[in-house]
Amino acid sequence: MATPNGRKLLEVDRLVMHYKTKKGDVSAIEDVSFSLAHGESLGLVGESGCGKTSVAMSLMRLAADNARYLNGEIRLDGENLLALSEEAMRKRRWKSIAMVFQGAMNSWNPVYTVGDQIEEAIDLHIEPRPSEKQIRERMSRLFEMVGLNPAMLDRYPHEFSGGMRQRAVIAMALSCDPRLIIADEPTTALDVIVQDQILKELKKIQEKLGMTLIYISHDIAVIAEVTDTIGVMYAGKLVEYGSTLEVFHRPKHPYSYLLLSSTPSITGPRRKLAPLEGESANLLDPPSGCRFHPRCPFATEICVTDEPPLEDKVPGHKAACWHSDRVPVTIGAAV
Amino acid sequence: MLKYVAKRLIQGLLLLMVFLALLYMLLDAQPGDISLQLSANPRLPPEAQEIVRQRLGLDQPLLSRTVTYVLNFFQGDLGLSFTQYPRTVGSVILEKLPRTILLFLSATILAYYMGFALGKVMAWRRGKTVETGLTLGGVAAYTVFYPWFAILMLWFWGFQFGLFPLGKFIDVEEWTGAPMAANRVFMRMLISLGILGIVLAAVALVANRLPPERGEQVSRWGPPLVLLGFLAFWFFSPLRRYAADIAHHTLLPVLTLASVQFAGVMLLTRASMLETLKEDYILTARAKGLPQRDIRNRHAARNALLPVVTSLVLALSFVIGGGILTEGIFSWPGIGGQLLDATLTEDIPLATGTLGVIGIIALIGHLVSDVLYMYLDPRIRTS
Amino acid sequence: MTDTLTAPPEVPEQEPLGSIEEPLWRVRLRLTRRSLVQNWRLFVANRIGVVGLVMIVIFALMAIAHPILMATVWPRHIYHPINGYDAPVSERLVVEEVTDPETEVDLTTARIQYGPFTEVGETVSISQQPAPPSFGGTYPHYLGTDPLGRDVLSQLLYSTRSAFFLGLIAAVVTVLFATVVGSVAAFFGGWVDSVLMRLADLILLVPLLPVLIVVSALFRISLPLLGLLIGILSGFGGTAIILKSQALQVTVKPFLDAARIAGGGNGHLILRHVIPNVLPLSFLYMMFTVTDAIALEATLSFLGLLSIPMSWGIMISIARTQGYLLGSLEYWWLLVPAGLAVSLLAAAFFLVGRAMDEVVNPRLRQR
Repeated sequence: MATPNGRKLLEVDRLVMHYKTKKGDVSAIEDVSFSLAHGESLGLVGESGCGKTSVAMSLMRLAADNARYLNGEIRLDGENLLALSEEAMRKRRWKSIAMVFQGAMNSWNPVYTVGDQIEEAIDLHIEPRPSEKQIRERMSRLFEMVGLNPAMLDRYPHEFSGGMRQRAVIAMALSCDPRLIIADEPTTALDVIVQDQILKELKKIQEKLGMTLIYISHDIAVIAEVTDTIGVMYAGKLVEYGSTLEVFHRPKHPYSYLLLSSTPSITGPRRKLAPLEGESANLLDPPSGCRFHPRCPFATEICVTDEPPLEDKVPGHKAACWHSDRVPVTIGAAV
Repeated sequence: MLKYVAKRLIQGLLLLMVFLALLYMLLDAQPGDISLQLSANPRLPPEAQEIVRQRLGLDQPLLSRTVTYVLNFFQGDLGLSFTQYPRTVGSVILEKLPRTILLFLSATILAYYMGFALGKVMAWRRGKTVETGLTLGGVAAYTVFYPWFAILMLWFWGFQFGLFPLGKFIDVEEWTGAPMAANRVFMRMLISLGILGIVLAAVALVANRLPPERGEQVSRWGPPLVLLGFLAFWFFSPLRRYAADIAHHTLLPVLTLASVQFAGVMLLTRASMLETLKEDYILTARAKGLPQRDIRNRHAARNALLPVVTSLVLALSFVIGGGILTEGIFSWPGIGGQLLDATLTEDIPLATGTLGVIGIIALIGHLVSDVLYMYLDPRIRTS
Repeated sequence: MTDTLTAPPEVPEQEPLGSIEEPLWRVRLRLTRRSLVQNWRLFVANRIGVVGLVMIVIFALMAIAHPILMATVWPRHIYHPINGYDAPVSERLVVEEVTDPETEVDLTTARIQYGPFTEVGETVSISQQPAPPSFGGTYPHYLGTDPLGRDVLSQLLYSTRSAFFLGLIAAVVTVLFATVVGSVAAFFGGWVDSVLMRLADLILLVPLLPVLIVVSALFRISLPLLGLLIGILSGFGGTAIILKSQALQVTVKPFLDAARIAGGGNGHLILRHVIPNVLPLSFLYMMFTVTDAIALEATLSFLGLLSIPMSWGIMISIARTQGYLLGSLEYWWLLVPAGLAVSLLAAAFFLVGRAMDEVVNPRLRQR
């Protein structure tokens, strides 16, 4: 589903981002490339600290002040976001790219009504400015779409339950018809049942609006429910990238495999869960060669010395591993 | 919300009663009473002493005397002053109270307004030289020995530069042939200030109701215009000269009291802003593409205001203490200076009466900050 | 993979609780020491706190220096902060009729000031009476003398000791009251809590300075009594309320139930579990109480309401009552050293308090 001129909506090209700290550079994003066409949905998965949130923040250009972009481009409709002035970028936020945040429980300012906070975004980005009545109608439609009573617009965030707040956040993200929505762990803080409802809602809306979505989570099962493509990140690098079904059933990177086998499945057959051993790599001083080698059950000499390239293992399914043929097929994961 | 205010009001009144009762008992705990002074008079027979004691109610048990005192206090009867006999304590306090209210109120409003405005900018520019300098200056102003600071201010501005008079409320020479007493001019000034405050608040409310662009216009041009009108009113008033004299005497004590309070507010706002800036909704606001100024003022500062309002309660004791010292050092004839005088001359009824009224001021301050907080925080308002 | 799963977790060398044979008190001691070291590191990382601490140490040295100086180099009759006296001395010729007051003195004055057997024609050395504040006198006065001819430096050092003494009393009393009231209110709840907290509300409502002013009119207030009063009023007021909310967080923790099931009585529970958890916060607010106490004492002395022989506040008060207030530039040593001393010591405790705040409340820390 490419745009008429054949260009993708979003292209992240060889992005390298480090955080400057007193203790040295933290390599948060290391040579990450992916692209996304209109209406596509991509899931980014990995442990906390693997760089997935850094990628999301970089797309919004909201990474912490000590973030340094050493290489690469982020192109939205061909326009390099990293080259824009702060003012130009500010105008694109929410209008071009909106975000549903991690810990969205606290993403509402407690002293304003939810309606006021959505209106604030509409006021800022929709030209010409619609009338008060039009804004109201628009917000009501959005609220109905996410399954909330429009009367709740005049309520304060603390009067919402966690799930309702999250629905309202989604409504706010949709308020300016963004071309891309990034959802960063949007359901993590919710209980499983609400989590499931929100996911279904999100999927429904995505299908209805043909929304382009990047979904970030540490939970691969959740990602599988809403996305077409999965990117697996480990220690700042994209280690596997392919269609959701492919990655889910035939992972080509040991890390993806271990991630999958450490996730319980409700619908699939019973199986033993294998916890992921060891700790995430230290990004101040990342391991040599393949960054996963200290924790990898298949690691050999070459993994310590040489970095594996991210290359097609099966057409359209990339992985960065020297031993991808040794990675077993997963036993019926939950899709 | 009304229920809450009523509840706090009743609580406050009860607290005040307990406070007054304790005050009276403290008074009673001091050795001796007025009859001892009379008994020093050898010509007074013991029976006469007894009669005096009975007439003054000193033969009653402590509890009933305490109740009488508290009840009388609520009826406005605070007894007679020893040093200004036969004036009642009530009339002495009533004469001086407006001046104290002006001093406290204007210093507090000035300090909070400036302190909040500067504090929020400081937090926004964390780590810059300006911020470090202001923080150090703030700590210095906050911990400075206040009487010393006030003396230095008086010496520096009043004596060294001669910009301000060396204390007192009016310059007597200026007032020969004045059409009315200084206190009446002063009351008019107070009333006009009150009206000014109400009009400014109304402008702010209107600006809030209007759509953003229009509202911004109103909030930018409204207050200066109102202020200009206020000044013009006094400029063309026949009482201009006298009002100016009072204002001239008021300025230095107000600025001195405000500057110390200001430091505290600034430091607190800065800390509170830094906390707020870590909140998730600030990130949301940035992601929404709001301009920096809107993020700072609409989102961060609005929430950072809450702890600052709470601090009003804790600062109250500070303001009152500072106010008393200011009045003492600048010879400002308010109730704080009165308290000091009454204490030094051992005019006990006047001292306790003044302290009781100061307690009421503290209580009102408490209540105001409670109500203000409730108004500002919807989490409390709507529950 | 599965091998490492079944293998027992490796025991690190420095197991925090040590072996079973080790006596409990030693374990406790070690844990305390470790948390102290940890907190110390955090504290030192914050430069502002170190500045405050250094300032406090300097003042402490000043306090210690005074008795030593008095015992060694400073003659008591000259340098005693209260009774000492030194003034510029001038040689005068005793005459019947004074023509030049700069060099001559009449017989009566000379007999009163020098000796009853003075005769006309003798030369006497007369010290000026009353002595103007100056740097003159027979001995060096590095900060000059006050309007009564007393050494300002000696007064300054002497007063440091009483400031610390007052601060100490106020601090101990505050911690005691705040901790006990806060813990008991949180632990027992119910009417105990209600009564204590309403009382705390009342004390919080009462402005400290005017109350102390009135009390000082009714009773003689000495330094220890003042410390006690400030300690009680600030400990039982705002600090107790804050500590109660902290203690409340402890009382709902499961380890308290565990201790209760293990047979701990109320006293034991409060002493062993609640109090240690609120103590750090209590020490934090203690610092601010000390700041307040120093300022309050100086203020009350300045107003002449305390029965204290000498303090920084009294030094300023003397300059004020003797009419040297507006000569601030000319007679700077009367106002500046004492005023600075009060301000700096108060600032020092305030800075330490702020730094401790960042140790105790991790939310305030920078990243």
